[in-house]
Amino acid sequence: MIRAQPVAVSVEGLTKAYGTIRALDGVSLTVGAGEIYGLLGPNGAGKTTLIRSLVGLVNPDAGTVTVLGRRLPDRTVLAEVGYMPQAPALYADLTVEENVRFFASVHDLDRRTGAQSAVDALELVDLTSRRRSVVATLSGGMRQRVSLACALVHRPRLLLLDEPTVGVDPQLRAELWQRFTTMSGEGTTIIVSSHVMDEAERCGRLGLVRFGRMLAEGTSAELRRLAGVERLEDAFLVLSESKS
Amino acid sequence: MNGRRAGAISLRILQQFRHDRRTLMLLFGAPIILLGLFYFLTGGGSSLPAVDVVNLDRGPLGAVLAADLGRSTEISVTPTTEAQAASDLSADTVAAYVVLPADLSARALSDDVIAPTVHLEGTQPALTQPVLLALDQSVTRASRSLAAAEGMRVPALEPSLDYLHGGPGLDTLDYFGGAFIGLVVFLLVFVVTIIAFLRERSQGTLERLMASPLRRADIVVGYIGGFMVVAAVQAVEVVVFTLYALHVHDQGNVALIVLLTLLMTLVAVNLGIFLSMFATTEFQAVQFIPLAIVPQVLLSGIVFPVATEPGWLQVVSRILPLTYGVDGLRDVMLKGNGLTSGPLLVDIAVVVVFAVALIAAATATLRRSAS
Repeated sequence: MIRAQPVAVSVEGLTKAYGTIRALDGVSLTVGAGEIYGLLGPNGAGKTTLIRSLVGLVNPDAGTVTVLGRRLPDRTVLAEVGYMPQAPALYADLTVEENVRFFASVHDLDRRTGAQSAVDALELVDLTSRRRSVVATLSGGMRQRVSLACALVHRPRLLLLDEPTVGVDPQLRAELWQRFTTMSGEGTTIIVSSHVMDEAERCGRLGLVRFGRMLAEGTSAELRRLAGVERLEDAFLVLSESKS
Repeated sequence: MNGRRAGAISLRILQQFRHDRRTLMLLFGAPIILLGLFYFLTGGGSSLPAVDVVNLDRGPLGAVLAADLGRSTEISVTPTTEAQAASDLSADTVAAYVVLPADLSARALSDDVIAPTVHLEGTQPALTQPVLLALDQSVTRASRSLAAAEGMRVPALEPSLDYLHGGPGLDTLDYFGGAFIGLVVFLLVFVVTIIAFLRERSQGTLERLMASPLRRADIVVGYIGGFMVVAAVQAVEVVVFTLYALHVHDQGNVALIVLLTLLMTLVAVNLGIFLSMFATTEFQAVQFIPLAIVPQVLLSGIVFPVATEPGWLQVVSRILPLTYGVDGLRDVMLKGNGLTSGPLLVDIAVVVVFAVALIAAATATLRRSAS
C-alpha cells in the first residue's frame, strides 16, 4: 500500500531573504518517511518560511528542496502533500463540507472518493455534526479543525502543519495528536511547527529554529541532555541563548 | 463628546492615510485626471466633427454658404463631390454631409427658403447637433449679408434631413441603450471579480491553491467558467429587459447582442483578476472603479463620440476594450449590422484579442504571487 520511502523530505542549504531580513539562512534538514518532525522556535524564527518552502510557495535564493523524491519546483508532487497554513485559509461563505470537498477535488480526488474522504476527514476532526454549517459562523478553534480536514482529506503522504492546534481545546488537541501518531504509524510523514511544549514532546524528532538557522536537532531527550536541563521548555531557552 | 477621544480617532485616520499612499494618490490625483478628461471631452482642444459639403448651387448663395461653413467653429468641413461624400458617410469617416442643391439660390429668391439636404450618420446625437447648429449659424450669416447687399428679405432655413441609420424615430434611450448594456455588464462583472479574487488572496485560500497540484491556468480558467455561467444569465436578463421591457430600438440580431455582452464579461473577469494583483485590500480594489472604469466610460464613446476627442485622447480610446464593445453593440442595434459587416467583425475581433491578452496577463500575475 505505501511504497517504502526512507527519506520523505530533504532540504539542503536553504536560504531566503526578504529585503534585509534573512528568513532562512542555510537550513538543512532530512525527515524520514513516517516520521513526526517538530519545528520549534520563537515567532519570526523562520518556521513558516521553511514549511512554505516545502510546498513551493517560496522561491529560495539558494539551496535545494526534495519532497517525496522529487526536486522542487515540481507541482505534480503536491497531489501527495497536505499543507495547513497558520491562519485557517477557508472559504468563509461555504459550508464546512463544501470546503473540504473542494480541497479534495483540487487534489485530484474524483467526486465519489472526495465525498467519502470528506466524511472521514470531518470525522477525524470531530466536525461531522457541523458539516452543513457555514464556516463564517464557526468559532476560531472549529475553523482550525476545518482547515486541518482540508489539509488531510486527500490522504497525503506528507502532511505539513503550521501551528495546527492554536485555539483548539486541550481535549481535542490530545485526540488530534492521537490521530497524527496513528497516521505516522501508517506511513504518513508529518512536519509540524509549534511552540506548545507538550506537543513537541510527542514528536519523534525536533528541530530548533532561530534566526533562520537550525540551531539543534534531535529527540526531546537528546535536546534536554544537550542543554543539561530537565524540561524541554528550559532546553529550548538554553539552546536559543547559547547559539544566538 | 470628549475632545481628546474624538481627537484620537481623527489622528488615527490621518495616520492610516499616511500609510496608504495609494488612497492619497487617488484622493488628490483622480480629481485632476477626471476633471481634465471632462475638459478635453467637452470642448477644450477637442476635435470637430468632420462634415463634407457638396455645392451644386447654380447661383451665388451656395458658394457663400460653403465658404462660411468652412469657417465654422462647430464642424470641420471638406468640400467634395456627392459620390465621395456618400461613401465617406457610410465608411463613418464623416458625421454628415450637406448638399447645397442646384436651385438653392433660386429658391432663396423666389420662396424665401434655403433648403439644403443634410445627410446624417444618425447613430450619434452628439454628432448630429453640431452639424445642424453650424448650418443654422452659417445660413443666418450668409443670407443676412446677401440680404443687406441685394436688399432682399432674409430667407428661412428649411433643411431636409436624411438619416443613414436610425433617424428621428429614435430617442435618447435608443442611442444609449446598446452602449449601456455593455457598460453595465462590464462594470458589474469587473467589480464582482476583483473583489472575489482579492478575497481569495487575502483569506489565504489562493496560497492554499498554489500549494495544491492546480496550475495557474486551471485557476484562471476555473474563474472564467464560474463567472461566465452567472454572466451568461445576466447578459440574457439585461438584453431581454432592455429590448422587451424598455423597448430600446434594435435593428440587429439579438444573439449577436448577447455574444458581444458575453465577450465584454470575459474581458471584465480577466481585468478583475489582473488588477486584483495590484490591490491588497478590498478598499483599494474599490478604488479601481474611479481609476480603471470611469475614464473608460468617458472615453469609450458612450456619451462623447470618440471622433470629436482630441487626437491623443482618441489614441487612448482606441486602446480601451469598452470602446470596441460599445461600438459593436451600436453597430448591431442601431445599424443592424451582422457578421458580414467588416466594422462589426473588427470590433468583435478586438474584444476577443483583449480577452485573450487579459487571460494571459491574469495568469502571469498569479505567477508573481508566489514569492
